[in-house]
Amino acid sequence: MADREILVEADNLEKRFRGYHAVRGISLRCYAGEVFGLLGPNGAGKTTTLRMLTTVLRPTAGTARIAGHDVVGASAQVRRAIGVLPENAGVYGRLTGRESIRYTGRLHGVPPEELEARIERIAGALELTPHLDRLTETFSKGMKQKVNVARALVHNPPVVFLDEPTSGLDVFSARAVREFIDGARREGRCVIMSTHVMEEAEKLCDRVAIVAGGRVRAEGPLDELKARTGLELEEIFVQLVAQTVA
Amino acid sequence: MIGTLLGRWRPRPASAEASREARRWIWTIYAKETLETVRDRRTLAMMIVLPALFMPLATLGVPYLAERQQHQIQTVIPKVAIVGGSPAMMHLAAAAKLLAPVRVKDAAAALRSRQVLAVMEIPPRFEQIVRRGGQVHVGILYDASDPESTAARARAMALLSRYSQRIVAARLAARHVNPQLLRPLVVDQRSVATQRQITGSLLASLLPFFIAMWAVVGGMSVAVDLAAGEKERGTLESLLVTPASRDAIVIGKFLAVLTASMAAVVVVLIAMMVSLRWGYPYLLHTTEKIDVALPVGTAVVMLAISALFCALVSAIQLAVSTYARSPREAQQYITPLYFFTVLPALAVEFVGDWSHTAWAYLVPVLNAFFTFRELLLGTLDWGHLLLAAVACACYAALALRMAIALMSRESVVFRI
Repeated sequence: MADREILVEADNLEKRFRGYHAVRGISLRCYAGEVFGLLGPNGAGKTTTLRMLTTVLRPTAGTARIAGHDVVGASAQVRRAIGVLPENAGVYGRLTGRESIRYTGRLHGVPPEELEARIERIAGALELTPHLDRLTETFSKGMKQKVNVARALVHNPPVVFLDEPTSGLDVFSARAVREFIDGARREGRCVIMSTHVMEEAEKLCDRVAIVAGGRVRAEGPLDELKARTGLELEEIFVQLVAQTVA
Repeated sequence: MIGTLLGRWRPRPASAEASREARRWIWTIYAKETLETVRDRRTLAMMIVLPALFMPLATLGVPYLAERQQHQIQTVIPKVAIVGGSPAMMHLAAAAKLLAPVRVKDAAAALRSRQVLAVMEIPPRFEQIVRRGGQVHVGILYDASDPESTAARARAMALLSRYSQRIVAARLAARHVNPQLLRPLVVDQRSVATQRQITGSLLASLLPFFIAMWAVVGGMSVAVDLAAGEKERGTLESLLVTPASRDAIVIGKFLAVLTASMAAVVVVLIAMMVSLRWGYPYLLHTTEKIDVALPVGTAVVMLAISALFCALVSAIQLAVSTYARSPREAQQYITPLYFFTVLPALAVEFVGDWSHTAWAYLVPVLNAFFTFRELLLGTLDWGHLLLAAVACACYAALALRMAIALMSRESVVFRI
């Protein structure tokens, strides 16, 4: 790992809301060309952590840098370097799939000719091409999610955040999204995804952090975690979460 | 709260490149929001179809019904019970066709059941007293809550007045006195108002109210959809993680709301002008067409003030929608705004004396309506116009700044 570029670096990130300590000092490093999984039950602090890293929430304490830019001091530069699929992301129902992706591309300043080529390429990879010119309000949930994944990557960002990317998708759509994430890794991007589906994490992630109660309970490459504990990922997850609750 | 919101804002120096980029973001967001608005049939119906249908009804339908009622009152001879009776008066009533005298047993009951519309109570020995030069008290019963009964009373009064004049004339003649001695003044009334001014007065009584109403209604659904709607659909976070600044996001959305609001106002103006120009003589019994064509300069200034007023309303609506948790909540917050905007438009007719003072042109909403009146009546004071325009622009900028501040607050965006 030492020779690979660190694209995401968080130190003791904390977030308090009114009377609620959602994240209690999370630190992590993520590298170019890897898929990093944030695993945890509902309410563990995964989404809050991702929102701090994507600049929409301001950390109460701690620091984070994305592609070398501070998430608080240089939030504009951070947003240029990231692609984000937020949790429960919706679509613009009265835009077509192509228009939706183009909208995000334009906001990121992608030149028009290049943008159209990228839309075609990404839509092809996500098997969206035949539906690209239909209004997204007519799309299935899986197709809407694919449009949002395409929007997260249309500007070619080095760092991609995906919050529960396959949640609620059918087998085929989930598979297409997973293959796309794998492709993003091969292209050298740093992909950080949150999930509570262990099977998905095992298939996709190079390294994982198990988060519970707003803290990282275990972190490392999957094989190393398994070897260290002698347990399968799901068993490790259940035990760590149970300890936190206790 | 306003202090806290605005306290966080500091103007940032912008390079030429940053300005270009901000303009690109604003245009991209504005174009996308406008495209979505145009594709939404419900919003289009609110913005264009409804005012286009409503305005002819409002400007012609109500006057038509009022004129129809007046016509009925003027042409139908009301039945009036005459209790007591005087042959001379009965003869005059029949000859003048002012009312149809009716004999009834119980006059009050007949009035209550609308068998007759008024009752004249003539005392016994009426004609003898009159002949002797005495004074007689004649009673009239009518129903003040019934316009037709009130009209019948007026006709009974007219009949009594004519009868009274005959008696006076007869008494003066008996004394060899010229009746003209009792009319030392003959009044000749002439209005110096031109047709333009009369039309301007008509427009001034109608336009401010409808502009206020549609400025709010036209932009309401768009404002609700663009902020609270985005929160509910889960698309706002995707927008906030793009490089577009909060300022650019809010300004792009604001321009889309302003476009909808202004489109509704323009449709209202056109529909109203067309209705008045061609609908009035067709539907109502007037022989002359109403000259509603505004001079170009007046129309341009009118549209400019309307745009500033729409900007203020749009910015407030967007700020409220940004603050709301859901579209439903946003609708609830925006409804009072509708009343606060429309009430001054109604009141402006009755507080004309305020329009002579400069401070009235600093009061939001009211200033725009006073300026509309001055424009339409042809009494425009450029100082007033300048004050109103600057005040409107400042209030709109303040409301827009509040919307930007709200969009920058994570507790508002995520409602945590």
